Amino acid sequence: MFSLTRRRVTGLMAGVALVAGLGAAQAQEDDIVIGGSIPLTGVFAFAGVAIEAGMQDYITQVNEAGGIGGRNLRLAYEDTGYKVDQSVAVFNKLTSQDEIHLYYGDSTGFAKTIAPELNRMGGMIMGGASFASELNDPEEHPYMFMAGPDYSEMIAILMEYIAEETPGAKIVLVNSDTEFGRDPIESSRAKAAELGLEIVEEIITPPTAVDVSTEVLKLRRARPDYTIFHGYILAPLPEFMTQAQQLGLETKFMGTFWSMDSSIWDSVGEPADGFMGVMPYRYYYDEEADAPTMAKIREMRPDYQATGYMQGYLSAMLMAESARRVLDQGQELTGSNLKAAMNTIEDFDTGGLIGIPISIPGNSVPVGRVYQYSAAEKKMQPVSDWITVTE
Amino acid sequence: MIIGTAKETYRADAALLTTQPQRVWMAIFLAALLALPFVLDAYWLYLVCLAMINVGAATGLNILTGYTGLVSLGQAAFMAVGAYTVAWLERELGTPMLVNLTAAGGVAAAVGVLVGIPSLRVKGLYLAIATIAASFILHFVFVHWVPVTGGASGINVPPATFFGVELVTYFRLYWVILPVTALMVLGAANLFRTRIGRAFIAVRDRDISAEVLGIPLLRYKLMSFGIASFYAGVSGGLWAYFFRVVTPESFPLLASIFLLAAIIVGGMGTILGGIIGAIFMTLAPEMLRFVVEWVSPWVPGAGTLLSPLRTVVFGAMIVGFLVFEPQGIAEIVARVRRYFRLWPFRT
Repeated sequence: MFSLTRRRVTGLMAGVALVAGLGAAQAQEDDIVIGGSIPLTGVFAFAGVAIEAGMQDYITQVNEAGGIGGRNLRLAYEDTGYKVDQSVAVFNKLTSQDEIHLYYGDSTGFAKTIAPELNRMGGMIMGGASFASELNDPEEHPYMFMAGPDYSEMIAILMEYIAEETPGAKIVLVNSDTEFGRDPIESSRAKAAELGLEIVEEIITPPTAVDVSTEVLKLRRARPDYTIFHGYILAPLPEFMTQAQQLGLETKFMGTFWSMDSSIWDSVGEPADGFMGVMPYRYYYDEEADAPTMAKIREMRPDYQATGYMQGYLSAMLMAESARRVLDQGQELTGSNLKAAMNTIEDFDTGGLIGIPISIPGNSVPVGRVYQYSAAEKKMQPVSDWITVTE
Repeated sequence: MIIGTAKETYRADAALLTTQPQRVWMAIFLAALLALPFVLDAYWLYLVCLAMINVGAATGLNILTGYTGLVSLGQAAFMAVGAYTVAWLERELGTPMLVNLTAAGGVAAAVGVLVGIPSLRVKGLYLAIATIAASFILHFVFVHWVPVTGGASGINVPPATFFGVELVTYFRLYWVILPVTALMVLGAANLFRTRIGRAFIAVRDRDISAEVLGIPLLRYKLMSFGIASFYAGVSGGLWAYFFRVVTPESFPLLASIFLLAAIIVGGMGTILGGIIGAIFMTLAPEMLRFVVEWVSPWVPGAGTLLSPLRTVVFGAMIVGFLVFEPQGIAEIVARVRRYFRLWPFRT
């Protein structure tokens, strides 16, 4: 009776498209839109999903409290698969659909690619998942910011801690053979020299290294007090640590922000015990006093949220704060106004997301704390105070 | 309705477009290309430009793999050589854009010929592995030859200038990318009307017979590598002007696979196949974005939920084409043309 002819299917599809179009057009005109090239698939999806959740939660909070100057915040984002050409496509798509003054980018490659366009347009500021040292240059990248210390500053924080704990310590740097991995090597050497630390070996591994036995032998020869990894998420860190333990090496292992999510270490188990690293934010389960933001997050999300969540949350917070300051001044939302407003952020209270009041003198928030993983408790525990580094 | 195409001259026999409808459609297509940048917004223009860059590189690969039968997974690495050449020339010498693009093609072709040398001895999968190895060597060079390539952080490319006009918007870049790509495609189409192109096909179909026919295998295989890499180099050069930053991670192995997939999906050994394949592979994932967008009003959190599905659907589409249209999408076009040849008398 009702057979599916081609004409009927076409008609049906057209109908669906029409209804969908109407639905999509519901968005408010005067929203302040945060654009986002966010990796929801691909190698970086684990972070992208968390980042999106963090940004959405902060935006929901702002909107429930009446928005910014009566205007609601809205996140317009799309998946990039962590590929630069797709990120740029998303950027072009979103900027031609909405008026966007705030943007979240997903990678160093994307940030560098879009930078000339950003400088040309001058209409927005951009944060993102990249903490590349190269982007932390207000001269070259006047419209960029990062919601944390750049990779060089992360290593600097670790080294400050090391210099405090073990003056004159021997350090081995292990970096992946990627732009991400090689980023802080130069500056790490300088920082180590400044603090009187000795870099006894530098190891570069291929990004997909699985077998690390030769590298572990180098470690054994170098006998470092600390081994600092950068440019990895998880692999091959557990392998390194297991083999080093088997050889009876005393070295302490450290990592940077993207390896510091405690959920990824839970599955590693016992060998992960004692892994340290730098983290600019509090962890989800950090119940230290006086952190209303953390309490609020735990109230909104009963389950553990990854570190990417905190990164997204703070990114949205800094964007919103800049927009609020610009609008309070009665100025227009332009790249330079927003960035100038962001640079006026001084001793700003994040509600405990970061343990001390923060300032943004340039493109980064150069604050972090050293945490250590406890396999017994399955938690990262703070082992230092909040450390601020200034160039 | 066309009953037949009577060819009265050798010229007509060798013509690229043989029938009146073909000529009319081509004219409409070219007119549409000229009109496009005036009607599209930045997003679509970006995609069109990106697709055209991929068309150039895919057409090059099609010459090598589709017409000469030499499987290569190094096309993206040759693109990288072109991109680095342009970036380096812009940074160090500031030579004019067209010179840079030509140089990009030339350098890439030289590298391509070098990489192609093993092709005399190894074929098929073995050659594919050899080209993969070559792309790893090139990647190593890009990372470690710091004075020239800028190491891991790469080179920022200043905008192209053409008679004093800075090509910073997609609209302006379009007018460079379109003619360059069109020239390359036209060149490829014409190549197969010459001795060289026909020799390539002979090599593909049976290399021993080709040699018996008096085709020096080494020379023609290397020539094919050279031409394919020239195409990749020029496309890579356009890519560098388009994205304005070149790093060792700009052209991963996956990009080579992307191009190979493009010519397989589009139809190997046809010019149209390379074009359609590259356009399909570039645009299809973006089209699927709109599907996600359409359903998002009903599905809460559609972005996070459906984005992974997008990759699955895209993959399934490729498998579907391989299964149901092994000759590629170009074959569908050919079928449509055959259908209309006798239309409306026989359908």
